[in-house]
Amino acid sequence: MLSPNSESELAEMIAATSGDLVIRGGGTRGVSLPGAELNLSGLSGVEFYEPGSLTIVAAAGTPLAEIESVLAAENQRLAFEPMDHRGLLGTTGEPTIGGVVAANVSGPRRIQAGACRDFLLGVRFVDGAGAAIKNGGRVMKNVTGYDLVKLLAGSWGTLGALSQVSLKVLPRSETQITLKIRGVDVQTAVAAMSAALGSPFEVSGAAFCPGEDDTVMIRVEGFEPSVAYRASRLSDLLMHFGEISQTHDAEKSAAIWTAIRDVNDFHSTPGDVWRLSVKPSDAPEVSQRLQADGLLFDWAGGLIWACVAEGTDLRARIGSFGGHATLVRASAETKQRLGMFEPQPSSLEAISAGLRAQFDPRGIFNQGLMQAPALGAF
Amino acid sequence: MVKAATLPRNETGIETALGILKQRFGDRLQTGKSIREQHGHTTTWIENQPPDAVVFPQNTAEVSEIIKACAAHKVPVIPFGVGTSLEGHVNAPAGGISVDMGQMDQILAVHAEDLDCVVQPGVTREQLNTHLRDQGLFFPIDPGANASIGGMTATRASGTNAVRYGTMKDNVIALEVVMPNGEIIRTAQRAKKSSAGYDLTRLMVGSEGTLGLITEITLRLHGIPEAMSSACCSFPSVDAACQAVIATIQYGIPVARMELLDTASVKAVNAYAKLTLTESPLLMLEFHGTKAGAAEQADAFGELAEDFGGTGFEWTSNAEERNRLWKARHEYYWATLQSRPGASGIATDVCVPISRLADCVARANEMLEELGLVGLIVGHVGDGNFHTTLLVDMDDADELARAEEYVGRLNDVAIAMDGTCTGEHGIGQGKRPYLTKELGGATRYMAAIKTAFDPDNIMNPGKILSDEA
Repeated sequence: MLSPNSESELAEMIAATSGDLVIRGGGTRGVSLPGAELNLSGLSGVEFYEPGSLTIVAAAGTPLAEIESVLAAENQRLAFEPMDHRGLLGTTGEPTIGGVVAANVSGPRRIQAGACRDFLLGVRFVDGAGAAIKNGGRVMKNVTGYDLVKLLAGSWGTLGALSQVSLKVLPRSETQITLKIRGVDVQTAVAAMSAALGSPFEVSGAAFCPGEDDTVMIRVEGFEPSVAYRASRLSDLLMHFGEISQTHDAEKSAAIWTAIRDVNDFHSTPGDVWRLSVKPSDAPEVSQRLQADGLLFDWAGGLIWACVAEGTDLRARIGSFGGHATLVRASAETKQRLGMFEPQPSSLEAISAGLRAQFDPRGIFNQGLMQAPALGAF
Repeated sequence: MVKAATLPRNETGIETALGILKQRFGDRLQTGKSIREQHGHTTTWIENQPPDAVVFPQNTAEVSEIIKACAAHKVPVIPFGVGTSLEGHVNAPAGGISVDMGQMDQILAVHAEDLDCVVQPGVTREQLNTHLRDQGLFFPIDPGANASIGGMTATRASGTNAVRYGTMKDNVIALEVVMPNGEIIRTAQRAKKSSAGYDLTRLMVGSEGTLGLITEITLRLHGIPEAMSSACCSFPSVDAACQAVIATIQYGIPVARMELLDTASVKAVNAYAKLTLTESPLLMLEFHGTKAGAAEQADAFGELAEDFGGTGFEWTSNAEERNRLWKARHEYYWATLQSRPGASGIATDVCVPISRLADCVARANEMLEELGLVGLIVGHVGDGNFHTTLLVDMDDADELARAEEYVGRLNDVAIAMDGTCTGEHGIGQGKRPYLTKELGGATRYMAAIKTAFDPDNIMNPGKILSDEA
């Protein structure tokens, strides 16, 4: 195992290596690949934090928990609400900020605030030849050429080993209320969530939990008087969809959204877990085709979590659906057989392979991940 | 007039491609001098380098045909929206074909339930918002001009709403692009991007037409806020105004717009629009939200402003009154031009971390004096971006040289403050020397990406990257 303690050590190790490397942050997000582990947890620590500029810069291996607690002390947060995969995947270890960025991990608030990549202001990384590169930085916007920062977000360590990330942070909201509509079917749920999101009442979460309660959940956050007003107007707007109740206790409301974020419903259920990104209006029809044992809808229907029997090829079962299906929880054998990520059309695959060849000319980073099987390691 | 670098012309290739395209497109291919010059760069800052012809495609298949013909003969292709960019983005330093997207101006679909829409690149932002208005939706990115959506995408445009709604990078969901070999690709689907391949959408956004030609754009839309309120407040210094901005952001007041005029700008606006604003730095804000929220936010800002010496604080949610309060901003451009009749404007575009903004503006003002230049400063202070508009007599070579010196020095100051030489105008031809200074090794990657996508360098050559790359 390679464990660099600085960016220069990281660069030296990559330059000196000859075999495949598997880049690892906290190891909590379910990637298992052949190759030598390149562990980045030694690159740790908040390097710059200026609450007045809403900016934090940290070494890639810094534990997410450390970042969150530093921000909380100044009443700020990562607005994209990154999921903790440990409960769902049964992994241990400490999620790192570099891992969050590499996997573009975003939670329920994505529909309002944006994804992790939307908050990424800058990165430093080491490429496949061992050269350290910086792009972006601490400014809120720039138009200086191609946006390499966004390219690195969600690239799962296949373009470079992140050494440092710079993120925009936001103030925490003073309070929150969750509205619940019980006893609705999936069509009604998606219609209700769409109506809430299209309203001027600034919804920061919209999820539907089918099952015993068939409950739609809508979150509003902000200053107390504004939250109360918006919750009340939303209740008026949505009352024709079903009976509405409100959770006013901010802690209880927050717990509801942590459970949705981390997909708590599937923590102790057996089976593989898939995550499907769809157009919200397609969610009712697509979810029926899944024939899933368990379902959870986030992002107003734009994200479907599905629990199915182990080894199921869900992509083959549902065919074309205008979105993408990611295999999140399954045995290593199933992940290898089906691939974690939705295959891309061949034209995009060719462009991606071309990009990858520029960043990692020797083909040593995370081989087999984000690659068509023909090009990959298996 | 600043000379722009010229590149070697492929005369034989251009002649052959012109012949093929003339045959194919007839009157939709124009070669008259005035139309070509209109499609080269039109600002006075960088000299005009007209293309050899302008072609007006009507659909994606035609765009693909044009690019295939140009690719076969290695002829430059310069995408053109409405020509409002400022850094020579549409000049043709090696000649070639300007592809005017103005006839591809259809709004193809509005999906109110998914809060998105699909448009052709020639649609202008005002056209889109007029179309959306009766559905209670709007598209928030508002660069000064009535730019085309295709051009805004290619240049990663932003505007006064960026504090709340972000820039084009945050509001483009998917693109259809004709690649440099004529192939038509879709970068993503309407479903939210999550981990199916690299983010090619955002690689294309801001690539200034150098990686491909955008033929269709899927945009994220927003609900029109229930209420808006506007406020303005004078401050004893730029530093005090910036401190108030930082406090406002940190307090969590969700401001939509936040604009700063320096003292010289306020004087110019007073003179031009016959206003009686206090002649000191002026902060103008706009809040979007619910009726109660927009009022609360304005009040909360008023209290914070007072802590930093703010005076003359006023706010309103009445539409007519809002226009009166923001009159200074709306008249700003005209006031600038009138403050030195006959001069031309050259705009800088630095952006710095907001904690450095006051320092950077102070330096920008000092340098005006040091170099004996006339300039006014206006800033999108919520994101640390400001423009010095230099008013320059273009016939005075010495003054023009000092203006160039000013732009260069200010860029260096911003870069030294962990900032950037361009927050929203882009690199084009004008800022290429600063890109390497600011980014160092990352430009090597940009050059490598460019070569991988466009090995013959036919897509908008001479932009973003230096010619040696």
